[in-house]
Amino acid sequence: MKLTPEELIQGLDDLPSLPAVVMELLGSIDQEDADISVLARKVSSDQALTAKTLRLANSSAFGLVKSTTIQQAMTYLGFQATRNLILAAAMTGCFPSGRCPSFDDKAFWRLSIATAACARVLARHMHFNQDVAFTAGLLHGIGRLVLVSRYPEQYDAVLRERQRVDGNLVDVEQAMLGVDHLLAGAALAEHWQFSGTMQQAIAFYHAPDMPGAGFLATIVHVANAVAHALDLAGDVDEQVPAISSVAWTALGLSEEAWLQVFRETELQFEELTAILIA
Amino acid sequence: MSDDRVLLPVTQAQPGMVLSDELLDNHGQVLLAKGAVLSEAIIGSLQRHHIEMVPVARVEAHRAPDSAQVQARLDHLFRKHDLDADWAAGLLRRYVEDYRLERQVAP
Repeated sequence: MKLTPEELIQGLDDLPSLPAVVMELLGSIDQEDADISVLARKVSSDQALTAKTLRLANSSAFGLVKSTTIQQAMTYLGFQATRNLILAAAMTGCFPSGRCPSFDDKAFWRLSIATAACARVLARHMHFNQDVAFTAGLLHGIGRLVLVSRYPEQYDAVLRERQRVDGNLVDVEQAMLGVDHLLAGAALAEHWQFSGTMQQAIAFYHAPDMPGAGFLATIVHVANAVAHALDLAGDVDEQVPAISSVAWTALGLSEEAWLQVFRETELQFEELTAILIA
Repeated sequence: MSDDRVLLPVTQAQPGMVLSDELLDNHGQVLLAKGAVLSEAIIGSLQRHHIEMVPVARVEAHRAPDSAQVQARLDHLFRKHDLDADWAAGLLRRYVEDYRLERQVAP
């Protein structure tokens, strides 16, 4: 079966949808002036989402001041950080699992969380927005969820073939489906009205040297490689993807700084996975 | 409760111990998150909250990492790279190796 990008995009309407309040949060991701109290109240009406968000907000990765309400978390952590935590809590529960036997969704989320944690640490070093980097890291592979939810049987064949040839996932996707998860991710990011920067990071995290890819794509590219190299997905067949020397150099970190990045990434990773995919 | 955690009377808790589970008060409110590090002040506060037992992580004796094992796994992870040509991957590999083997690096 070969898909065209148009067919792929038509299929997006059939995807599981996020709670309405999360869609609203996505729409406001670049707004600094969104109405905090209204959003806090809306999120609070979803108990499961509220509980998970508060556990995240109270984790040592984000802050030791205890919040017992979403409104409090917004006061302590800031609106943007809380919004991204809500998004993280919602996304990790939104796609159904188990329809595609070769797809290990635990490993997928472990890798995504590791990438998010690393992207956040790197962003701090680069004086880049840490919340945006965290979210981009968490969602960078979302195209794989699109393919696995929409075409479970075909994607199962892709994953088996990939394992057989021990090849590059994007190459196998293109050869067998005609589209890849970068395109699928970018299409979903657009469909869900992510910001332009976020869309580009998802579309170009494999190729951050492309003109117009943006610095966020560079951060996610390297964070993803680090997550693979630290072996955090728990996948025996793990392989580190190609790393752009341009992106690596752009970060300009010393070895000492890198070792600190690894340490922080692993610490945050442990705690975040316990909350998000326990 | 598995082997890596132990339930300890709060009177025996020491600063520096790490909570292995989140700690709730009598009303079910979270007092401390899992992973929180205990301090004198926190232990005092737990006693004031009438907490009697605290679940803490059992500290394993530190074992030196096995160099051969680390190398073998890194070889596998980086099997698609030509580490001489692909120098960014080469550096990443070396740094992860230093990290895993807990080598001292020059600042």
